[in-house]
Amino acid sequence: MRPILVWVKQGKKQRHLVSADSHTAQHFIVKNPKLCALCILLSLCLSSCAFFVPNQYLPFIALFNGVLLLQGRYLGGGVKGLFLLFTTQLAITCALYLLLHGGERIDEAMLAVIRILLAIIPGWWLSITCAPQRIGEVLSWCMPHKWAFVMAACFSLLPRIGLEVKDTYQMQVMRGANITPKALCRPKHWGELIYCVLYPLLIQLLKLSKQMALAAKLRRFGVHHKPTHWPD
Amino acid sequence: MQNKGFTLHDALFIGFCATLLVALKGMLRLKLGLTGHSMFLMTFFYLICYGAVGKKGAITVCGVLAGLMAMMLSVGKGGPFIVLKFALPAAAMDLCLLVLPTVLALRWRCIILALVGTVAWASKGTIEDVLVGLSFEVVLLQLGKSLVFGSFFAILAALLVPPVLQRLRSHDLLDREEL
Repeated sequence: MRPILVWVKQGKKQRHLVSADSHTAQHFIVKNPKLCALCILLSLCLSSCAFFVPNQYLPFIALFNGVLLLQGRYLGGGVKGLFLLFTTQLAITCALYLLLHGGERIDEAMLAVIRILLAIIPGWWLSITCAPQRIGEVLSWCMPHKWAFVMAACFSLLPRIGLEVKDTYQMQVMRGANITPKALCRPKHWGELIYCVLYPLLIQLLKLSKQMALAAKLRRFGVHHKPTHWPD
Repeated sequence: MQNKGFTLHDALFIGFCATLLVALKGMLRLKLGLTGHSMFLMTFFYLICYGAVGKKGAITVCGVLAGLMAMMLSVGKGGPFIVLKFALPAAAMDLCLLVLPTVLALRWRCIILALVGTVAWASKGTIEDVLVGLSFEVVLLQLGKSLVFGSFFAILAALLVPPVLQRLRSHDLLDREEL
């Protein structure tokens, strides 16, 4: 329990710091890669516990998850998605149980949905506390050199890809393609989405990967044994 | 992860495909209660990887990378288990490729791969449901639902892949001669 309390304290400090200069910047309290590895292991353990632990131990897991939930909420994580997921799951499962078994086994359905929720909370918490670049660093420990580089490249390319997708989409909508959210309700128009948005993107990616591979090779990629990581 | 055989160019392209898959999945959020819509994007990108790179293990690597990216960016339900969600269908597709005859037309190969991926994806959900302790009938019903919807979306994606690959090749963007 103690490390979690320490993190909360750190989070409080950081929160003030961050809110002083910008409201939109996302901050993560776990900056140390070893601590981050620990967090990943913890969330993995808790998630699998939610599936495998017998019923009488479930309250302990729930308590632990509750602490994580509170901490995540304290650090500014959104619980709306979790709540939405929980309610839709609950509604579907309860409806199925009512349909197939009648009312007497409804508590079983509730328990199952609670287990699903308990399996999801650790992942949600992980995404709030750990910076993506630190998770990437941890992952690169157990990855071949080349794939760690690919991951890093993909990660730094992500904002650009996102922008490219949005730009292409906007331009195609202005051109008059049937890919507005309303038109996409009909599966007939999905093919158009592929040809108007995905196809240009694929061409872009093919070109970019060729150029990037050449650039990396020219900079003697793979010669140095100590790779560097994205700074905080 | 398989390291040999992929040039840096292949590796980067696979990585970018995985990134685009995760980015689109995060962007679209087609959460209309539609089971299996994620199979659409997944099948499309895995098959594009298979067509564009054409080496054994390309789909699995793409799946694992996509899972890791999704875990890092907390797309979908997040958590370490999302790696399995992406990697399992990919691994099943790659295993299926080992026994699939290459004389078969590309379109049929794509459809078979899509169906195999869907089965793997649905069985992962079923295993989860069983572990969570749902009753047998409910599990069966959920399995049937995800199989039907998943295969619908997956086949839709699989039918779109051969023309896209053909176009890429006719514009001389793919180095491979054969598809």
